[in-house]
Amino acid sequence: MTGGPPGGEDAVASSTTDADADGVVVDDAAVELVDARKTYQLGEPVHALDGVTVDVPRGSYTAVMGPSGSGKSTLMNLVGCLDTPTSGSVFVDGADVGAMNDRERTRLRGEKVGFVFQTFNLMPRLTAVENVALPLVFRGVSKDDRHERAADILERVGLGDRLGHAPNELSGGQRQRVAIARALVNDPALLLADEPTGNLDSETGANILDLFDELKAEGNTLVMVTHERDVAERADRIIHLLDGKIERIEAVGDLAGRQHDDATTERDDVPDDGHADVGGDAA
Amino acid sequence: MAWRAIRAHKLRSTLTTLGVVIGVAAVLTFVILGASLQAGVIGDVSPDDRENVYGWASPPDTNGGPGAGAQPVFTPRDLAQIENEPAVRAAYGFQPVPTQTLSSGNETVPRGSGVYAAGPAYVDREDVAEGRQFRMGEREAVINPAAAALFEQNLTVGDRIEIQVPVVGSVNATVVGITEDAESRSPFEGFNPEPRVYLPTDPYVTDVTQADRTRFSLVVVEATDRGSVDDARDQALAYLNSSESDASGFGDEDLVYNFQTSLELLDQFQELFSVLQNFVVGVAAISLLVGSIGIANIMLVSVTERTREIGIMKAVGAQRRDILQLFIVEAMVLGVVGAILGLGLGLVAGFGVAELVGFEELVIPWEWGAIAVVVGIGVGVLAGLYPAYNASKTDPIDALRYE
Repeated sequence: MTGGPPGGEDAVASSTTDADADGVVVDDAAVELVDARKTYQLGEPVHALDGVTVDVPRGSYTAVMGPSGSGKSTLMNLVGCLDTPTSGSVFVDGADVGAMNDRERTRLRGEKVGFVFQTFNLMPRLTAVENVALPLVFRGVSKDDRHERAADILERVGLGDRLGHAPNELSGGQRQRVAIARALVNDPALLLADEPTGNLDSETGANILDLFDELKAEGNTLVMVTHERDVAERADRIIHLLDGKIERIEAVGDLAGRQHDDATTERDDVPDDGHADVGGDAA
Repeated sequence: MAWRAIRAHKLRSTLTTLGVVIGVAAVLTFVILGASLQAGVIGDVSPDDRENVYGWASPPDTNGGPGAGAQPVFTPRDLAQIENEPAVRAAYGFQPVPTQTLSSGNETVPRGSGVYAAGPAYVDREDVAEGRQFRMGEREAVINPAAAALFEQNLTVGDRIEIQVPVVGSVNATVVGITEDAESRSPFEGFNPEPRVYLPTDPYVTDVTQADRTRFSLVVVEATDRGSVDDARDQALAYLNSSESDASGFGDEDLVYNFQTSLELLDQFQELFSVLQNFVVGVAAISLLVGSIGIANIMLVSVTERTREIGIMKAVGAQRRDILQLFIVEAMVLGVVGAILGLGLGLVAGFGVAELVGFEELVIPWEWGAIAVVVGIGVGVLAGLYPAYNASKTDPIDALRYE
């Protein structure tokens, strides 16, 4: 990779072993929730998230399950820096999301979190490569660099021959691959997937999950929301949510053995934190 | 990206832009027509007669063009006295001669206007292309080329002409000079080029009215040079206001002397035109306003329609100002494109109508073109501001859920 994401210095500064305001050491976790609550005032207070404390270690693969209304989406929004907790703390890559203003949160989101959505959420008028490069646009990366990097990552997710295609010229699986490439383009500390296979047939879905396995093997941190048990079982552990609380955390089989060797060599790495540096600099 | 959004909705963007196009085009067309009309009517009167002061006496509060309400109060003696003032080179009466026909040889043409009696200095020596100025006391005429061309065989110096004057009968004159062009020589003549015949006031006016009873309504005072115009005017007025002058002791005490240069007289016309122009431009400005509402409306729709896209962009790290910029740029592009197209259309329409109406001179007031374009662009930006602000405020969570 060509020298890590722009703003890598910031990432270093914000992710090192600093004991944050609350004195919580956040060195080893990509995401850490400490008694996080989210309360909506809908006539009477509704606790969408009711005191959740959990770590997402770097390089881990976590699935979140639960019935609708259990707080999955709220958890996703907090972890994805889209929202702030009503009380408690959320640390993403060591930075306290609750203490940030909208601007800082947006920046953290852009640099540290990669989103993969059920409905892909690609920009319909942009080509695959432009979609992937979009996060870089907002970080002020030059056009040539953006394109080069986006093309690189698309190549890696197996879409090297679809760079100039618009989303409506791609199949569902290809679109989701573009979305994954977009999520990876900033070398995020966390890849956040919300029902990534929900809109795909089982075979295509399985391919996407295989890709996730590869990404995990390369050292990425993955958090995936799903309500399909067999999908969730691909992760290391499953967090079961119920009524805004963690019902239980279930460890499932370590999937490391299923990693694909061919995908590991080209993989860039998050430069600034402690997790396994598998691929090294490919560029 | 803004450009792509515009292209994705070609028809909608076109219709939106149309408002600005029409607005800018309307402003430009009207100012071109206005300026051309003005130029056509006023022409280039001013250059030759800047040392001239045009005077008349009228009741107070008389409105109208040069000579409006003029009363015949100036005697030849007054004019002779004024001519003696130090800053005055010449002073003479100006008298339009009512006519019916002009004849030369056995050819007669109808002519209801364009014959004037004045002093020899009225037609500048350097403006006489052929022959010479007429002389006082002689039955001589200077004509302009348009008058010469009235006859099948163009009149030349030395030809005799016969002018049929109602009540008086026919009077004769010898053509002694032909001017170089048919332009108006003073505001008293009006502003359009037309056939004209110039005669000396003596004998053509004084013969009819008797020298001692002659009263001129209109006078021309020529200063010795351009710098002395104000002096000449002051001296002439000082004399006229003194008890010594015939004018002061004659007729209505309430008459007011109007002594103005042609530039000052032109200014009054300009004022009239600019009032008219402002009115028309105001109407055009309303269409610009309507155009801006169109842009605002389309931008609001565009923001709503792209809520999800805004959510995506925010999710991947777009700051509020990125979104703001995107939509403002889009509105601005619409404004700029509209303004430029409007400029082109306005020029074409202005040329076309001017051609149709038959204006001789086409004047393009570029400063107005620039104003119209700037306003068109400004309108686009202003109209885009609120929708863009709305867009930038969108909550990504809601936006991503938005269908």
